[in-house]
Amino acid sequence: MTTEAVPQPLSAAPARLRKKTAAGTGLNSAAGHLVMVLMSIFCLFPVYWMVATSFRPTNAIFETSLWPTTMSLDNYVYALNAIPIVQMLVNTLVVSVVVTVIQLFTGLLAAYAFARWRFPLDKLVYTGVALTWLVPFQVVMIPNYLLVAQMGLLDSVVALILPHFASALAILLLAQSMRSFPKEVIEAARMDGARSWRILWEIMTPNLRGTIASLAILIFISTWNEYFWPLLLSRTPENSVIQIGIQMFMTAEGNQWGPLMAASTMASLPILLIYVILQRQVIQSFMKSGIR
Amino acid sequence: MTGPFKMNRKTFLVSALALLAAGPAFAQAIPATIDQPVTITFYNYNLGSAGIGAEATRKLINEFMAANPNVTVEGVPYSSADASRIQADLAAGLPVDLVQTVFSDLDFAVTNFGAQALEDIIPAEELTAHFAGMHPNGLKLGVLNGKTYGLAYTFSTPVLFYNADLFRAAGLDPDQPPKTWAAVKEAALTIEEKTDAEGFAAGITGPSAGDWLFQGVIRSNGGEVISRDRTTLKFAEPEAVEAVAMLRDLYDAGVYDSLDIAAAMEGMAAGNFGMYLQTSAVQGVLVAGAENNFELRASTMPSFGDKPVRPNNSGSALTIHTTDPLKQRAAWELMKFLTSEHGYTIITSEIGYLPLRPAIVDDPQYLGDWIKAHPLVQPNLEQLDVLEPWDPMPGPNYRQIVKTMMDSVEMAVFGGADVQATLADAQANAQALMP
Repeated sequence: MTTEAVPQPLSAAPARLRKKTAAGTGLNSAAGHLVMVLMSIFCLFPVYWMVATSFRPTNAIFETSLWPTTMSLDNYVYALNAIPIVQMLVNTLVVSVVVTVIQLFTGLLAAYAFARWRFPLDKLVYTGVALTWLVPFQVVMIPNYLLVAQMGLLDSVVALILPHFASALAILLLAQSMRSFPKEVIEAARMDGARSWRILWEIMTPNLRGTIASLAILIFISTWNEYFWPLLLSRTPENSVIQIGIQMFMTAEGNQWGPLMAASTMASLPILLIYVILQRQVIQSFMKSGIR
Repeated sequence: MTGPFKMNRKTFLVSALALLAAGPAFAQAIPATIDQPVTITFYNYNLGSAGIGAEATRKLINEFMAANPNVTVEGVPYSSADASRIQADLAAGLPVDLVQTVFSDLDFAVTNFGAQALEDIIPAEELTAHFAGMHPNGLKLGVLNGKTYGLAYTFSTPVLFYNADLFRAAGLDPDQPPKTWAAVKEAALTIEEKTDAEGFAAGITGPSAGDWLFQGVIRSNGGEVISRDRTTLKFAEPEAVEAVAMLRDLYDAGVYDSLDIAAAMEGMAAGNFGMYLQTSAVQGVLVAGAENNFELRASTMPSFGDKPVRPNNSGSALTIHTTDPLKQRAAWELMKFLTSEHGYTIITSEIGYLPLRPAIVDDPQYLGDWIKAHPLVQPNLEQLDVLEPWDPMPGPNYRQIVKTMMDSVEMAVFGGADVQATLADAQANAQALMP
């Protein structure tokens, strides 16, 4: 009796392999997803706790139940009455948008000069600009304050914007992008009679949309979170920003956690909205600039 | 040499005579009334917060302006944590007229912010008239180098808050709260043994604690952190070392944990601590947490055996900084209003601090009814009779001196370091920072 080896389909072994690989990939994928789900919960829990606490009444503020046993909007009412939250949010938005636009504008101009022109001591000036990035704002805070006081602009939204007209980060990031911009395109534009102003705004800027969008998001978020300068400058809540408003619920006589969480929830909404709408760009901008 | 010397001497004599003539004139220069519009700035850290402190302050300022139509008070919020706005405004040449000064900053306010001694700018009879009815211990709080630079404004004393429900659950009598540190330890051990709660917490150490409560603990054991002439640090003397060793013993016994100052306060408000030693100013937060949850009570600061308790104040004084006579008058009128019977009634009942005028406590026109409804304030009032000043550290490094001292205390109590050696080392370092 002979046995004839039944020829296995050629594809059988690879199929098993594929099955194994698929199973492995599935497992890996499940494990990966599990890790990501856990990390998401870890990251989102403080946000959830902020919202949940904002609904707890004062005598239940230290409850540890996941959802408030009794719900109350008192903290929102109190926070809205205690500080002009809407005005502060508007101020913060105005300051953030204006600073973002101005820094992008000055950044583009300076970056073009550094990337395209050679002038005496250009490298030294560029290094100087880079070095200003290393100087903490606290160092120049008081001289800035004296200047603003001399200009009679204390306690004004304008003064919140004034020291932020230029950003070393914007200049460096844009200059780097412009240096890698194809020279042939610029030469072609020159041959067509375009001068620097037109080349910057009509050739380079539209092609740097990605970098500019990333930079805009970074500037906007860092300006939104600005704390020290408004703390020193603002004298009335009406002329201040939301970060100062939130801090006003923290006193030596104890923190008012309920209103603080209610104010924080309201303050987070615009920035959360930006994350939801532009999340891909936000992540890219942080990755591009190496900032976490 | 003779000529110039003679000239110098002559110039000096003329100047001295001019100063002598001008001295009383300065004192008299403050006008008796305010008959023209004047604006003064009032730097106030309560205005930098949202809540009852700011509301009560604005209410008082508005009442004052309504009663004094020639005076406009511009409230300027500032952070008492660093007073950087005052420094920046002085550097910018902006007027800093009246300031709510933290008592620990008093020396710096006098030497760097130009705080004026009331005796130098206010006629003596006016001072005497306004001081009448004020508790003498309260008046001493703002005295530095023999002169009154500040009038106690929002100030309080250390109070031992305790959770009466936890006392009952542990088999302790809530009507007999611990009066000594030994009794605190015993009660805390019992609470930890019989309940799930922690025994004891205090606001003595921590980043925002300063040294006010620590000074009272050391003083209650017969020591002091700085000599009476404020030239020599003494927080490594035997009495101070013994007091810190007592705190270390509480930690070693497991009844006093190394907690963030806010965590301790919130742990008490959440009902997780049996006892909590802290300023009476936090009463509002604790009462809010205790409502419908547990019975909150208060007692006086614990003593070291039979030694008398010698608490000192926390909080702030009002200091006049302007040199303009008209503004000085306006600032003085505001200061008088804020420290009047009505002013202290608002400060006590709406912000939660102590009244410097004991007579208003029983007066139904002022705090009489409020005190009956708020018995927690009673230990605070009792301690007014034994209250001593919170000594401000001298010189421009005063904050670093406090930090060096308090860091060493934390290391000695919670860090396992040798108490005597750690305090002695820190004292030597801090002494080098003294002026």
